[in-house]
Amino acid sequence: MAQNAVDKTVDTFPKFLLVNAEVRGDRPAIREKDLGIWQTWTWRQVKEEVKALALGLKELGIERGDKVAIIGSNKPRLYWSMCATQSIGGIPVPVYQDAVADEMAFVLTHAGAKIAIVENQEQVDKVLSISDQLPSISHVIYDEPRGLRDYDHTRLKWINEVQDIGREAMASKYSGDAWEKMIAEGKGSDIAVILYTSGTTGKPKGVMLTNDSVVVSSQNANAFDNLTEKEEVIAYLPMAWVGDHIFSYAQSYVAGYTVNCPESPETIIEDRREIGTSYAFAPPRVYENLLTLTMVRMEDAGRVKRAMFQYFLKHAREWGEKILNKEPVPIAARLKYWLGELLVYGPMKNRYGFTNIRVAYTAGEAIGPEIFRYYRSLGINLKQLYGQTEAAVYITAQPDGEIYADTVGKPSPDVEIKIEDNGEVLFRSPGVFAGYYKDPEKTAETKTSDGWVKSGDAGFFDPKTGHLKIIDRAKDVGRLNDGTLFAPKYIENKLKFYPNIKEAVALGDKRDYVTVMLNIDLVSVGSWAERNNVIYGSYQELAAHPRVYQMLSEHVDEVNKSLSEEGPMAGAQIRRFLILHKELDADDGELTRTQKVRRGFIAERYGPLAEGLYNGAQEVDITTELTFEDGRKGNISARVKIEDMNAHAPAAPMDKAA
Amino acid sequence: MRAPDESTIKAGQTLLSVEGVSLSFGGVRAITDVSFDILKGEIRAIIGPNGAGKTSMLNVINGFYHPQEGEITFKGIKRKKMRPHDAATGGIARTFQNVALFKGMTTLDNIMAGRTLRMKKNIFWQLLRFGPAEREEIEHRHKVEEIIDFLEIQHIRRVPVGRLPYGLQKRVELGRALAMEPELLLLDEPMAGMNLEEKEDMCRYVIDVNNHYGTTIALIEHDMGVVMDLANRVVVLDYGQKIADGTPDEVKANQAVIDAYLGVAH
Repeated sequence: MAQNAVDKTVDTFPKFLLVNAEVRGDRPAIREKDLGIWQTWTWRQVKEEVKALALGLKELGIERGDKVAIIGSNKPRLYWSMCATQSIGGIPVPVYQDAVADEMAFVLTHAGAKIAIVENQEQVDKVLSISDQLPSISHVIYDEPRGLRDYDHTRLKWINEVQDIGREAMASKYSGDAWEKMIAEGKGSDIAVILYTSGTTGKPKGVMLTNDSVVVSSQNANAFDNLTEKEEVIAYLPMAWVGDHIFSYAQSYVAGYTVNCPESPETIIEDRREIGTSYAFAPPRVYENLLTLTMVRMEDAGRVKRAMFQYFLKHAREWGEKILNKEPVPIAARLKYWLGELLVYGPMKNRYGFTNIRVAYTAGEAIGPEIFRYYRSLGINLKQLYGQTEAAVYITAQPDGEIYADTVGKPSPDVEIKIEDNGEVLFRSPGVFAGYYKDPEKTAETKTSDGWVKSGDAGFFDPKTGHLKIIDRAKDVGRLNDGTLFAPKYIENKLKFYPNIKEAVALGDKRDYVTVMLNIDLVSVGSWAERNNVIYGSYQELAAHPRVYQMLSEHVDEVNKSLSEEGPMAGAQIRRFLILHKELDADDGELTRTQKVRRGFIAERYGPLAEGLYNGAQEVDITTELTFEDGRKGNISARVKIEDMNAHAPAAPMDKAA
Repeated sequence: MRAPDESTIKAGQTLLSVEGVSLSFGGVRAITDVSFDILKGEIRAIIGPNGAGKTSMLNVINGFYHPQEGEITFKGIKRKKMRPHDAATGGIARTFQNVALFKGMTTLDNIMAGRTLRMKKNIFWQLLRFGPAEREEIEHRHKVEEIIDFLEIQHIRRVPVGRLPYGLQKRVELGRALAMEPELLLLDEPMAGMNLEEKEDMCRYVIDVNNHYGTTIALIEHDMGVVMDLANRVVVLDYGQKIADGTPDEVKANQAVIDAYLGVAH
């Protein structure tokens, strides 16, 4: 806490950079795996790189308050661009790199970006293709020069050239500490970053966060989990997402820990293994995929290995969590767990890159209790948190030793929470956003005059644990025609906990009964098909296979059974379901960029299917348009079968707390 | 044999020329009196219907077959007979129609194998893996890693190529050819058997290789669309004879080519 006295004057990220270069100049700040070898930059080196880049940007015309768009996967130079922009008073606007051209055009125009700093040729092409809609952009700067040699370079610049311009200016134009003076002019109340939320509905909104709120959030988070300069994290989530901004940038600058950039998006698991991260953050999907992959590989493993895996996993399920929570455990169980660690858990954690893990978080969506317990039983301190862009992530988090699979934890330090009558969660903290960029109306809708922010999520405090539980988006909670409560996400999540089901979309609001559309998980179902001699030529064919239908109908039946045991939810059992002929995809607008389903859009897009679910049809023909990554469009047609389900009788109301 | 100084031939000058080449196997004429040239820095396509003699032509260029008549001039040196080894040391690398990789070896080792010709230290030094041999290996590995980065195959670096899908194997094969740092790269149907996405990827890599390394490329391809987009100039063969030679647009408009591809009414 003594540090806080010093921190008072350090209220922007460029200032933190100067402090880090001073205090821990020789410690690694950022690494990147390049040509198969990890390259390291120390804090002192990062300071020099950022300085050159900052002055280069200034020479290209960036003034205080100007926006700089940053588009690409996690690369050191793109993170430096963020700090360089901030250091001369500009505002970085990271943009999702997999956004199609139209989406990108909207964000860049709305933000009025003056310069776009992009990763590679792909992004340069994208920005150039929409450049006639972007009069404000004066330059496009790229990090990876490959394939760009023959491009017209009047408005295009390689990032190294920009740094050279900066170094020249430094020698000819500026005095020794001119840049440091520019940094000193920055204030905590300045806007640090504008993050565009992917938006489950409507156009993206630009969330403005001040330096103060991001700094406070980061400091609190670091203190909450005792994070130090020794942490290693791997940066692989989209830079435009608030989670990555806080974990891989803000918290790193505040605590001084090391951020590692993977070699390519396909090598993350391998890279994480080499680094041995100590602090990790991932949406449930990542943990799910890892577990699915493990289970699939174990199916293919030799008999001895498989038997060993299952034997020790059973032991871990029984005792692992208790050992992690430091509860009393008999010595024999401890010894066996230790043996398991040696033979199974250790090697598994090594594979996952979790050997050195101290804290791992999951957030964004509900995680399957089985998945959650699996990692915890291996001794990985996996916890849940609840956050939003508008709160600079942290709203609630689970303290060590108070871990439950179905809660999101207690209010984070400095955060106040209240629940409205309709179940909506409201929060207030020093970390909340300053407003939506160029949209005071939406700001007023979301943020009250006394600082309370509407989360849009429905939830309640569990009286037993004191933790917050989130059930669904407040506006998504609906009712069936007979008045039964219908929480679509709740049902979808129950379905998605089956490895065979990748995505589920539940319909039922203002309808007579609940129906769902399912997406199969190709890895899991594909491997099942291989083992069971089910022959298929395409995703579509596998999805329509009668045996796949039969398998999923068993899953749906189990979900119905569990719903029937949950009092008010018993009326919301699934009466009919179908398996979609194509994977839901963000490029088609069916998922958000953070891979959440857009229910309304899907119901509209697959209108004939939704209709078929309610008019008793057994089969429905449908043609859907799909968009490829380069923006071209194609059509896919299919005949989709609809399966009827029986409801279970509601079980006698059980005396169950929460 | 040392390759002649590379700087002697500049972009736009003739790198390789084929003059009056005829090749027959016993009584079968595979190639009859074909002449054309390849300029340094260009992408040159050889197209034609099945059995037109495209692959034979490529085999003649890299010394696999010896033509009965005609001459091949590579970098100003005329030769009638050339062994594949001479072609390789002279700076000609190739990929094959049917992937010809070492299936049990990893991607890394396969591409490393492409560096063999450039290794100077003998086997004893390499066995010792010490001093100069170690330095040399690091140098070669660096070059190989650049290629891996270039072709974006980092994630399969340590995967045995036999386990890879076909499209990726083709990419690894291209990588191995690139590892030789060739002046002339011969690609035998690099996009055969690929789906649209893989084809587009491969096209991009071929253009990038040409653009980034300045490598001259001669490629055989079936897919007319691909050829027309990629190539600077096109030679069309039919029944072993040259029926057209020129830019893609000229070739497309040529009646003989249209007849050869679409057939003529008899």
